[in-house]
Amino acid sequence: MVSWQTRTAKLLSRLTIRQSLKRELSIADMRERIRSMERFFPSVPDDIRIENEPGLSHCDAEWLTPSSGPTERVILHLPGGAFMTRFVRAERLLLARMCRATNARGRLVFYRLAPENPYPAGLDDCMEAYQQILDLGIPPEHLIISGVSAGGCLALSVLLKARDLDLPMPAGAILMSPAADMTDESTDGSRVANAARDAVLSLERGDEIRRLYLGEHVELANHPYISPVLADYTGLPPLFFQVSGSEILLDDSHRCAERARACGVPAEVEVWDRMPHGWQALSFAPESGRAIARLADFIRERCP
Amino acid sequence: MSTTQSSKPSNPGHAFMRALRQDHVGLSRVMREIDTQAHRLTEDPEGARAILVDAFRYLLRYHHAYHHPREDRLFAHIRARDDELEQTLQKLSHEHESGEQETERLADDLTHASSEDLAGEYGAALVNRINDYLRHTRTHMRHEETVFYSRAERVLTDEDWLAITADDGPDDPITDIRTMRASYPALARSLDDPTSHLGLNRPERSSSNELRLQVLALTDLYGGLMYEAIDLTRTNFRRLKSARGPVSLVRAAGTIYADNLRFAGQCVTRPSRWAVNTGAGLIVGWLKPYMNDQQDRTGEQFGGE
Repeated sequence: MVSWQTRTAKLLSRLTIRQSLKRELSIADMRERIRSMERFFPSVPDDIRIENEPGLSHCDAEWLTPSSGPTERVILHLPGGAFMTRFVRAERLLLARMCRATNARGRLVFYRLAPENPYPAGLDDCMEAYQQILDLGIPPEHLIISGVSAGGCLALSVLLKARDLDLPMPAGAILMSPAADMTDESTDGSRVANAARDAVLSLERGDEIRRLYLGEHVELANHPYISPVLADYTGLPPLFFQVSGSEILLDDSHRCAERARACGVPAEVEVWDRMPHGWQALSFAPESGRAIARLADFIRERCP
Repeated sequence: MSTTQSSKPSNPGHAFMRALRQDHVGLSRVMREIDTQAHRLTEDPEGARAILVDAFRYLLRYHHAYHHPREDRLFAHIRARDDELEQTLQKLSHEHESGEQETERLADDLTHASSEDLAGEYGAALVNRINDYLRHTRTHMRHEETVFYSRAERVLTDEDWLAITADDGPDDPITDIRTMRASYPALARSLDDPTSHLGLNRPERSSSNELRLQVLALTDLYGGLMYEAIDLTRTNFRRLKSARGPVSLVRAAGTIYADNLRFAGQCVTRPSRWAVNTGAGLIVGWLKPYMNDQQDRTGEQFGGE
């Protein structure tokens, strides 16, 4: 049974975010609209301290620390937003709730956005954040990387690139509805079957999003750092996917998990019924609390 | 910003503390499974009951039988060295007792209830109790981590550790898949499944699914029109505000009139286009089985010849 709070959020998303994604994209307008929608998200609770230092070279980033006395765990979180925009307050609150549920410190990275900074700027920022955490002496076995939507794609890209650079792997990764296929050639599957049911996303402007994210390098769309569904997952840590059964991105999670398992990497997929994309961030909805409690269980499993 | 070092000082209690933390790995995994099954209980009582009973038995036979007594021994020694934590540790020990009693009650109630009971109000009440149980257990684990896990190794002496680690029990069986399969088969099967479905218990009838899709399409249609109406109103205001003098005002009014007329046209044509397309789709849907039937018969006739 879906709660009334989630139903309301779905309807509002269908009437706002989905509508703007179906129309001609004006990035400035979309960012402005998101800023006005953000007023409805509460701020981070007082028991979470936010610090900016040490920062990153090209983008803002924050450390979130619960006052309850954190353990050694650190969550590196990469926000979503189609690589072009982001819900700052919602993502901060999501990470704060994850940190509180796991006694972890959180690192929130506001990586550079397209189209002003196309690929690989965003990935470079996330890699810098990852390297910084290692340089600070935080043991990788206490580190979890997480991301929502485009952030989920970047989280996978960071893992793949870190492995390719022989950097130590974190203890695990949380991937909330990652947008992991920029080749976008599907003629069937969830991108088609869920096109009408998805309350938030619409791929009618998928080509445009890809062009804006990749800039002049559209031919890179099938590179594993951009479309991790095509990657070799050998050597990656355990992956934990949460995705809704009514999302167009449902298959991205399944395909990534299948490839990971084929490479011997444990990968779990949780398919939630009738949730909107990114429901984990809807702090007022009971399903969001339940999703975060389950993510926290996974974090405790990976970082005892 | 402070950093944390991975290498801990050599300490006889280090292995013991690592084992306690490791126990929370199994406990967290089983919490997640209990959460999954609790939400299916009223819709699939028999499937969910078997896994839940296994899960509660596992908790009773390992966590309540060995893990919590280990922690209680640790609490007692910390209390002797650091009276600042007296109340908190007493509360945590009390939670171990009440948790064990509730685990037993839940296992019993699940075992003795009929399928009909579990599918009805009794089952719904049981789900609420399980949800409370999960919330308390997770909060309890969080408190343990913050309150004493970091402090224990600082305040306890070698003698304390010798007393605490004496008479230790077995390791968590969840780490051995064969033991799990033998002792808790339903739970082991479920833990082995890499895909969980949360809430996908009642398959939708295709007719209600079709109806839902049509409602969603209609919401998209009118949502889109509303979205454009708001945009148009905003643009119209901007045009009127930017008018300087009567000529530009007339020009703005003309543009507004033309745009509004175009939008009014869209408000008429889009819903009618949707109605025609949907109607055609429904007719094709109704005719399809009949047409397939006809095709099959023709095929049979040719096959027969």
